[in-house]
Amino acid sequence: MSERFFPDEMPMPAANAETLAFWEAAARHSLVVQRCAGCGQTRHPPGPVCPACRSTASQWLELPGTGSVYTFSVVRQAFLPALSDRLPYVVCAVELDQGGGVRMVSNLVGCEPERVAIDLAVTVVWEDMGPDLALPRFTPLGTTVARP
Amino acid sequence: MTTKGRQAVIAGVATSDYPLLPDLSEHAVHGQAADRALADAGLSMADVDGFASAGFFPMYALGVTEYLGLHPAYFDETNAGGASFEVLVEHAAYAVESGAAEVVLVTYGSVQLSQMGRTLGTGAPGGAGALAPGPAIYDALWGNTLVGNYALAAQRHMHEFGTTPEQLAAVAVTMRKHAASNPFAQKRELITVEDVVNSRLVADPLHKLDCCVISDGGAACVVTSAERAADLPNAAVYVLGGAHASTHQMNLSAMADLTVTGAAQCGPLAFRRAGITPADVDVAQLYDSFTITVLLTVEDLGFCAKGEGGAFVEDDGLGLAGRLPTNTDGGGLSACHPGMRGMFLIVESVRQLRGECGETQVPGAAIAVAHGTGGMLSASATLVLGRDAP
Repeated sequence: MSERFFPDEMPMPAANAETLAFWEAAARHSLVVQRCAGCGQTRHPPGPVCPACRSTASQWLELPGTGSVYTFSVVRQAFLPALSDRLPYVVCAVELDQGGGVRMVSNLVGCEPERVAIDLAVTVVWEDMGPDLALPRFTPLGTTVARP
Repeated sequence: MTTKGRQAVIAGVATSDYPLLPDLSEHAVHGQAADRALADAGLSMADVDGFASAGFFPMYALGVTEYLGLHPAYFDETNAGGASFEVLVEHAAYAVESGAAEVVLVTYGSVQLSQMGRTLGTGAPGGAGALAPGPAIYDALWGNTLVGNYALAAQRHMHEFGTTPEQLAAVAVTMRKHAASNPFAQKRELITVEDVVNSRLVADPLHKLDCCVISDGGAACVVTSAERAADLPNAAVYVLGGAHASTHQMNLSAMADLTVTGAAQCGPLAFRRAGITPADVDVAQLYDSFTITVLLTVEDLGFCAKGEGGAFVEDDGLGLAGRLPTNTDGGGLSACHPGMRGMFLIVESVRQLRGECGETQVPGAAIAVAHGTGGMLSASATLVLGRDAP
């Protein structure tokens, strides 16, 4: 069994022009979101146009990586057969600190499913998948995660 | 929705056999539903000059028209997942009222259940080393599931409004009660709130019995003008108004508020176009992929205030004698859910307005609402149908 959080057969991101900068920052363990250079609204996932003001100009805003659980689910039945030996696992939407209300869906790790609650304070942990890819997951603040 | 004095009506409806069709192909399910709907309308394939359908593959409608031997002047395959068929019938009404088509056949077919048996374990979309480009990957990477996405919304609704698992369960209990009167329903044995909350958790807080069944099946309807329908055998049902909306595609990261669906936008618009208010609605057919889907929909359509859905649906609030008789065929939670069941909502609405629903007939039903929800709460579409001419 792979030492990784999810098995190696899981789909991997194929970066495109809009998402490459996110993944390049992730590889450096830096959590960024896109911020409109016109009106300042943040957005995630990255996209070519600001949904608020239509500006195509954007910047990357580096965030501290902390946040709070906006909602979550404990997945107890997997869709992908490869995930059946990882059950149960927690999928969460995290509202990111200093992110202007932006939310990111990811996993919560290093936490018993029974302890997960909305508003739980969390921080990002990175799993290195290779020299140019790291995946951001979250863990309760103050938790030490040996293997995210 | 009348323009140039033409009024769109539904002249015929039908379902195919369901819920298990191991001997039929997907196209054959379309064909069975289409033949029955045309017979119900007193029309034939030769009368059809418009066609609409949606499925899981591009150029889907072309495949079905080839199978049916149709060469329509008007076709449409707008895909909004489970909301597709409310959109397609709304469009068909516009086509009839503009004069672009005279008789539009709308068909749905799926052999999802039998297909699963045939391919079990041999592959899953997006799995096994696939590369997922673009924004879709932002939610797919984390092993989230279809149920898991709806669970995220349910969890948030419970947190914000104190909605309980028992209130969600009440939706499933009422649907099962209705299914008990439907001889074709996949699940007919009565269940209790306790049965639902004690069933296995699939993705917290949703239990197995908070989730729809997985079925084979299809359905169809025939949209034409009131004028054309005047000498047809069944009472025409009037398309009074329709509207649709989307909030995002597949990433819940991009949904502004997980407790508010596009129904809050398209519901009031459809009602305004139909000249009605929620209080005028006698019977509703609401997409019930999961119990939470129905709870959000009754709030967003304005049958109760945001946050009060739990109290609205509990104690058989969606039952025949309840606050809003809903899913009188047993819905996707119990009767039949082949993947995109929006067409079933329209068929059951028409049957209610024609007074054909037997034990689950809502007496004197004059206004029915069919509301579809597609994707990951992504798309919503409302159709208001009436027994009487507007």
